[in-house]
Amino acid sequence: MNAKLKETILNPIFKGNPITVLVLGICSSLAVTVTMKGALVMALSVIVVCGISSLILSLLRNTIPGRVRIIVQLVVVAMMVILVDQILKSFEATYAIDKQLSVYIGLIITNCIVMGRIEAFALGNKPWPSFLDGVANGAGYGMILLIVAFFRELLGSGTLFGVDILNRLGYVPNNLVILPPFALILIGCIVWVQRSIQKDLQEK
Amino acid sequence: MEYLSLFVKSIFVDNMIFAYFLGMCSFLAVSKNVKTAAGLGVAVIFVLLVTLPINYLLNRFVLSPGALQWLSPSLADVDLSFLSFIIFIAVIAAIVQIVEMVVEKYSPSLYSSLGIFLPLIAVNCAILGGSLFMQQKDFVNLGEATVYALGSGIGWFLAIVSLAAIREKMAYSNVPKALKGLGITFITVGLMGIAFMTFMGISL
Amino acid sequence: MNTNNNLYTVIYTTLIVVVVAALLAFVSQSLKAKQDANEKADTISQMLTASGFGTKAEFQKMGNAAVLARYAEEIGKAYTVNVSGEKVTDLPLDVVYSPKELKRQNYNIKGGSNKTGEPELPVFEFKNGITVVPVYGAGLWGPVWGYIAFEKPVDGSIAIKGAYFDHESETAGLGARIKDDPAFQAEFVGEKPDFNSESIFEIVKGGSPKNADGSEVTDNKIDAISGATMTSNGLADAINTWLGAYVSHFKACSAQTEVPAEEPKGEEE
Repeated sequence: MNAKLKETILNPIFKGNPITVLVLGICSSLAVTVTMKGALVMALSVIVVCGISSLILSLLRNTIPGRVRIIVQLVVVAMMVILVDQILKSFEATYAIDKQLSVYIGLIITNCIVMGRIEAFALGNKPWPSFLDGVANGAGYGMILLIVAFFRELLGSGTLFGVDILNRLGYVPNNLVILPPFALILIGCIVWVQRSIQKDLQEK
Repeated sequence: MEYLSLFVKSIFVDNMIFAYFLGMCSFLAVSKNVKTAAGLGVAVIFVLLVTLPINYLLNRFVLSPGALQWLSPSLADVDLSFLSFIIFIAVIAAIVQIVEMVVEKYSPSLYSSLGIFLPLIAVNCAILGGSLFMQQKDFVNLGEATVYALGSGIGWFLAIVSLAAIREKMAYSNVPKALKGLGITFITVGLMGIAFMTFMGISL
Repeated sequence: MNTNNNLYTVIYTTLIVVVVAALLAFVSQSLKAKQDANEKADTISQMLTASGFGTKAEFQKMGNAAVLARYAEEIGKAYTVNVSGEKVTDLPLDVVYSPKELKRQNYNIKGGSNKTGEPELPVFEFKNGITVVPVYGAGLWGPVWGYIAFEKPVDGSIAIKGAYFDHESETAGLGARIKDDPAFQAEFVGEKPDFNSESIFEIVKGGSPKNADGSEVTDNKIDAISGATMTSNGLADAINTWLGAYVSHFKACSAQTEVPAEEPKGEEE
């Protein structure tokens, strides 16, 4: 693997993280980080959707007319998400999984990361790097999601993945942590930590 | 009177940013100065004001179960609601594309300062959220849907302009280096969100 | 290739939209039967869960066929009533009301431009005397619905045997707790909706006020989910709207028990 591809993969995880650096995908990171489970499901879905839609649109990139590119991008992304939803819904074994996922469908389609990466990367690059870029951005996003969810579930419900951790020690769950504003404050703190380590990101 | 209460409610009580936390990405990224923020705010109002009534009519006469009855009674059982996501998104994308072209032509400076966040209005969850809430709330006529669109848009506009004003002032305060810019903005929005929760108890 | 040509743009967009719409319509049509079967089994397992025949997880493990068989074993009769409490029609025993059908009835109850006819409210009676009715309404992000199971009426009042709620897209960990949190659903057990008052059932912060001895002052209030006010309010609204439509039916039911021939059962709890 050459250096450029490696950079494509590693950059979004930390240095160019979609949430803390590019400010993409904030809405969903507030909505799904109340529990670890929700965050994990959402993270995996975004990795898959972001990778595959980057791939498809990169393949189509030379044929898309400039003036309607937004429509084409969104239609392709939405179609894919709905197709997966429909297929999962029709098998007995996957129906229960789909019910978990269906909550996130709207959030996945409107997740700015998917479209942001298509717009900024996939439309100008070959399919393979675009796919990797999509997956890596999904992963960088998922990482922040899990960090935020860890604190919110632990402090807000006293559990992790639904397993009681703090409550048995006499901890009283803090309801403020469950509310969306706290997630914002938490992400603010993550940005703080990241920029203390990585000084070149600091703003004047 | 009903229109007035719906209008006030959609601005303050159901504020897209502070009650539902929708449309956060562009809200955070394009709030560095009041002028750009106001530009994006107006664009959001416009897009909401155009897409929401269109989507309302589509939902009423095409998408919801039995909606095609006006064409012929034999279509009473047709249910196209599975298409609503993709149709809503396509309408929104088309309108955003038009707005993008207009802004590029008449205000190149605004165009360049909005950057990628102009096309990203299409995935601004506040816009799709508006259409989905419209579907949810079962507005009885086009007037209600339009008032709701205007109210939500103005609520979003007010939110982004007030955040931009705070950020302009904050440039003079002594914020820790690594927290400057994005980090402190997240925290500010969190605190504003907590303040806005006082509106939640109001019933109009 | 010049991709900015007007004709090209129009053709390209049309093509994409037609292909996508056709693909989605095809997939949705061809998979509809399977999806409906899954949905039906899911609905039935929710009704069985509400009525205390098992837990949702157990039914999920059983598989669709076993769930349907279990339901066929337990169901006594099913019929629809109108808002005056009169029976409209008998339902075949293998018919249940999907969320989509509930939505239509919800419009009919609420009136307005979406009304398609007089409400026909389903009632499902199990052989052991438990009656299940559905509720449907709007949560924060999308619809919420569920099934409330009632005991046989005792002394003119009807206690809730159990409840199960579902939702389309409430926030995981907050509003989604109406479905995921057994403790929330357990709060309904033993409550008695007040069919004579405006607010039949309430979901409020703190639940019912307590007497000095710790017992509840009222039987029709339960504690809301903290952090999910909108979902709690939406659910309470759904319950009140639907039980409100069933008031005449339930009043008629509880009046029947006062006939001495019926053996009064012991009080719950």
